[in-house]
Amino acid sequence: MPKCTINGKEIEVKEGTTIIEAMFKNEQKIAHYCWHPGLSVAGVCRLCMVEIEGNPRLQIACNTVVTEGMKINNASDKVKDAAKWGLDFHLINHPLDCPVCDQAGECGLQDQYMEFGKYDPEMAEKKVKKHKVVDLGPTVVLDSERCILCSRCVRFTDEVSKTSELGIFNRGDRSEIGTVDGKSLDNKYSLNTVDICPVGALTSKDFRFRQRVWYLKDQETICNGCSTGCSIKTYFNREGFYRVKPAYNEQVNSYWMCDEGRDLYKFVNRENRYLKARRKTEAGWEEMIPGAGAKEASALVKGQGDSLALVLTGQYTVEEFETAVASFVQETKSKQVYHWQNHAGKENDFDGFLIRGDKNPNTAGLKKVLSKHGIATSWHEFQSAISSGKLKTVIVAGPENQMHYQEIDTLVKTLAKTKVIWMQSAKNASLEALSVGSWILPMKSYVEKDGTFINYAGLERKFKKVTTVVSEALTLAEGVQLVVGQNLMVKPETNAFIETARRQDQVMLEHRKKNEFVFKRGSL
Amino acid sequence: MSVVQKNTSEASKWYLPGILVGLGITAKHLVSNLFNKKQMLTINYPEQKYEYSPRFKGNHVLTVKKDGSLRCTACMLCATNCPAECITIVASEHDDPSVEKYPIKYEIDMLRCVFCGFCEEACPVDAVRMGPEWQTPGLAGSNFHYGIDQLAYRPQLKGGMLSVLDDEERHKSGI
Repeated sequence: MPKCTINGKEIEVKEGTTIIEAMFKNEQKIAHYCWHPGLSVAGVCRLCMVEIEGNPRLQIACNTVVTEGMKINNASDKVKDAAKWGLDFHLINHPLDCPVCDQAGECGLQDQYMEFGKYDPEMAEKKVKKHKVVDLGPTVVLDSERCILCSRCVRFTDEVSKTSELGIFNRGDRSEIGTVDGKSLDNKYSLNTVDICPVGALTSKDFRFRQRVWYLKDQETICNGCSTGCSIKTYFNREGFYRVKPAYNEQVNSYWMCDEGRDLYKFVNRENRYLKARRKTEAGWEEMIPGAGAKEASALVKGQGDSLALVLTGQYTVEEFETAVASFVQETKSKQVYHWQNHAGKENDFDGFLIRGDKNPNTAGLKKVLSKHGIATSWHEFQSAISSGKLKTVIVAGPENQMHYQEIDTLVKTLAKTKVIWMQSAKNASLEALSVGSWILPMKSYVEKDGTFINYAGLERKFKKVTTVVSEALTLAEGVQLVVGQNLMVKPETNAFIETARRQDQVMLEHRKKNEFVFKRGSL
Repeated sequence: MSVVQKNTSEASKWYLPGILVGLGITAKHLVSNLFNKKQMLTINYPEQKYEYSPRFKGNHVLTVKKDGSLRCTACMLCATNCPAECITIVASEHDDPSVEKYPIKYEIDMLRCVFCGFCEEACPVDAVRMGPEWQTPGLAGSNFHYGIDQLAYRPQLKGGMLSVLDDEERHKSGI
């Protein structure tokens, strides 16, 4: 274990640690672009210069291994001067169009320039023009003028996704990132290149120009896309969720996540959600406040005995499953609780990196709760009970993320003769076909509640509520408790989201005649 | 709190001299205005209008390029800088790669606007300016949500206001 001194502080590091890693572990600041903790060392940006005692020249911290007794300093004027000139060279051909650039606000160049910049460029030459708005593939757009050739994205496709689509072409100041003829950047992890790009060269087609980043708040949670359960950061503001990025988690996903998981903010947004409890009548759908709706739906459950069943999908938290199953068993004395698993037979698929076939984040948690209550039912039993007409009422806790639940359609068809209380957060067109007298109750999505997910490997992780999208929606626990007839006070939370469309002016002619000022413009 | 003593002296009960002094002042101004109209402060408002300084901050104008399209690049710096939060911008991708980003919706809520001019100061491309107009009545609140049509192409502007900055020249000089 070599000992070294960094900026006057003595520290001990593992054998083979580079200086930049040692500095990051000890929370020392250092300028860098090309170095990324999840990728190999390239040493091309020349910004992470440090002064090592006994060495006549500055060395790069990312490619120098710490040795015994090394004395490192990166606060001297010599180092700052090197970073300043390094930055100036990076900016020779970099366009100064930060207002149009989507990376502004979270850009590596902006941050470093504020700290080390020269503020007085000495380049009189014209900037080299390169390709703008290059369509790299289905998810990513490239602007090669903004690229500083750190080669992070190239190393990502070589080392992590192992698809090797990207490369650096041409030489000198004409070098550009690009793909080999006819190939497009099309793999299941392509959007990670956008995350690791320190400038605005690679942008995501989905997020591009939709919102400036300084308008977004972020909070960490767990992806509910599959049973891997990557740690993610969700970005949102009062108008809705805008994007998802991976958060570092050593045990699960390291620095990466799949492209599919990045779409999972969409069904959370208000326009895709059930806002009210709905009952199907002969005339059509009738709307009601969710809590009251759930209480009224309990009429379908009362006195059903053995002709009542609860169907659960692995998309809710362990706490919700626990309360829901416990109150169901206690109130109805029935143990007809079934586990609905989509893609039956494919649940053990694995692509070798992150994506798993089981598209539920908490299948392991649901199985644990069911076995705790001694419930060992199979999906075949449920299907035969339905076809024999034994079940009159079914409570279904539907999936939040329906990307891989095409089976909803078939299940709704098989339930054509039974009354259904369907609890679900996001809208689904097939639910319109439910039988008369059935209910749809709006549920909270994974960003609106605290809870625990257990992933495929049995790793239990708690996550915190991010925000409230539909204030009156119920959790699965509240929904089942109300439906089985328990008394419960459900307090609606304050809604953090605004309607994006402005409301119409309400000052009508008759109001003006009466001199009434009825239009409230809102507090300032 | 200060206590003002009421004047209760005998002399103050004689109100007539005070009224006469006041009438005298009015009469003096009446006569002087009759003979020297130029020094009068009031103007005949609807027919006659006051000349404001060129720096006056009135209703906003979105400037246009030579081809008549908007200069605005939808960078949202004006909306970020706005203390009254009255600017709403929705950006979109432009077909022309050298333009890249442009606003499909640019709305200013004039009733919320405090006419501070911060948007004008924040704009990096001289796309939003405060114009000279201020007499803009409306019948309903919704008349004061000015969109692109009103801000850039209202009839008073006669086809839009051109900015002194020219994109092509800037690009040629390598900026």
